[in-house]
Amino acid sequence: MVLALMVWRCSMIRFFIWFFLIGIFLLSAFIGAVDISPKELLDADSLSSTIFYDLRIPRVLFGFFAGAILALSGLVFQTLFRNALMTPYTLGISSGAVLGAGIAIKLGLSTLAFGIAAVSVFGFVGALFTVFLLLYLSQFLRQTQQTSLLLLGIALSLFYTSLLMIIFYLGSAIQNDMLMRFTMGSLSIIGWKYPLILGMAAFILFLFSYLYRFELQLLSISQEQAQLKGVDTKKTTLRLLIVTSLAIGILVSISGPIGFVGLIVPHMVEKLYPQIISKRILKTSIFGGLFLVMCDTISRAIQTQSELPIGIITALIGGPFFIYLIVKAK
Amino acid sequence: MIELKNLSCSFEDKRVLQNISLTIAQHLCILGANGSGKSTLAKALCGLVTYEGDIFLDERSINSFSLIEKAKAIAYIPAKLEIYDAHISVQDFILLGRFAYKKSFFEYAHKDVEMVKETLEFLNISRLKHNLLNELSSGEQQLVLIAQALVQQSQIIIFDEPTANLDPKNSKIIAQHIKELKKNHNIILITHDLHFAAYIDSPVAFIQEHALHYYEDDFFTDTRLEELYGVSFDGLAVQYD
Repeated sequence: MVLALMVWRCSMIRFFIWFFLIGIFLLSAFIGAVDISPKELLDADSLSSTIFYDLRIPRVLFGFFAGAILALSGLVFQTLFRNALMTPYTLGISSGAVLGAGIAIKLGLSTLAFGIAAVSVFGFVGALFTVFLLLYLSQFLRQTQQTSLLLLGIALSLFYTSLLMIIFYLGSAIQNDMLMRFTMGSLSIIGWKYPLILGMAAFILFLFSYLYRFELQLLSISQEQAQLKGVDTKKTTLRLLIVTSLAIGILVSISGPIGFVGLIVPHMVEKLYPQIISKRILKTSIFGGLFLVMCDTISRAIQTQSELPIGIITALIGGPFFIYLIVKAK
Repeated sequence: MIELKNLSCSFEDKRVLQNISLTIAQHLCILGANGSGKSTLAKALCGLVTYEGDIFLDERSINSFSLIEKAKAIAYIPAKLEIYDAHISVQDFILLGRFAYKKSFFEYAHKDVEMVKETLEFLNISRLKHNLLNELSSGEQQLVLIAQALVQQSQIIIFDEPTANLDPKNSKIIAQHIKELKKNHNIILITHDLHFAAYIDSPVAFIQEHALHYYEDDFFTDTRLEELYGVSFDGLAVQYD
């Protein structure tokens, strides 16, 4: 009886959370500096309908894919390293992207080949460089020293930040403003190019994680157990890390770093669905997507001179949660 | 049959085994002081630590086994399970023992699930199947690990101090199961519990100062133990006074 009540209560909580997130997702495109009513959308030539179809909808989808990539990569990193604090963000991979972007801005580069912004290319290279540097350095760690890897990531992050400070110090006001905006993370994009690129990246990451779900399951127990059951742990880890980092590299190079989503969403989903990892991959991706769209909707709904960068919202929600996690772990 | 030829192993830059050669016909009990290299030897057998020399399994070098083949041949049961993600039920956990038999990328087959059910019944722990792994007592955890090794269908099962964390009653249950498993599996047992080792009654390998001493039988005498461990024994029990 008590059990049935608990199950019922738990599924009610789940229902309300999903209902709330999906509701915001559906309404998100109507909210922002310009209010759009459904009636205006019927007129294809109106300003409202241009804003709706070329700005808002792509942005909502972009946010959804970005959140999915962030949450899923968090889950994959946490599982591969068996540490709740391991995410591309805490390991300094996002900071690598920011430094790359900073260099591009400082050098005054605008576009490289194929109309891709130099900031994106440099950001992408920065993220990947960091991953390979971490992989190289981790060879010198013993298998059991996962905490050391985290410390390495944090040390790298701090090092990058000081390099970025030098760029700030040397930069002009305009350059610094650009850099500042990139550092805070933003989902402001125009048109359908970026949502499509990011959608593909999200799909590939999801496919890989799903195909390797049983390997991930075994790795979440321990590396030793996985190996003893027949998992090629090195190969699996390397493949998943590279695919995840590519997806993160693409995302961060466009949007700038968005923190905490990768950290908190996997834990939220774990709390809502205490199940094995193979059953949480899809849920974590979708939840992450909806969560980031919610944060973005909040950032657009708060009317300020210009819109609030999304990184601030996610950090405002994520920071306290991060502290809660650390205190609970003790 | 397992053959070790000129095997040398190190653990954290320290040489623990030097030039060991041994043929394990069926069963083996590995004894020795703390840090003498018992677990390292067991881990070398299942490929978890690197070694020099060679290990042959039914006259085939273990280096030529793929990880999947190795999993089908050898199961290793640790004293205590280190686990990061605790959201896994006993049933799902045991199912992971079938990984080596599963088609890549596909779900576990119905046959695998059935096998888990039968094994749970065989070990008398069907009541635990929906429990989460971290809710189990040490004794139950050891039984679940045995179940996982059984569905893995490996000929060789290595027990690394199975009774180290158990109370007398659970020790007895596990000891009886291991004795039973000797009929159909090759059991390699590492332990400090001399009564338990004597009950299992396998040939003994005693590791001392990087070397291995093999005793086919009559190992368990107080004089021999006194000689090897350097403390006095009475009825296989250490004399404290």
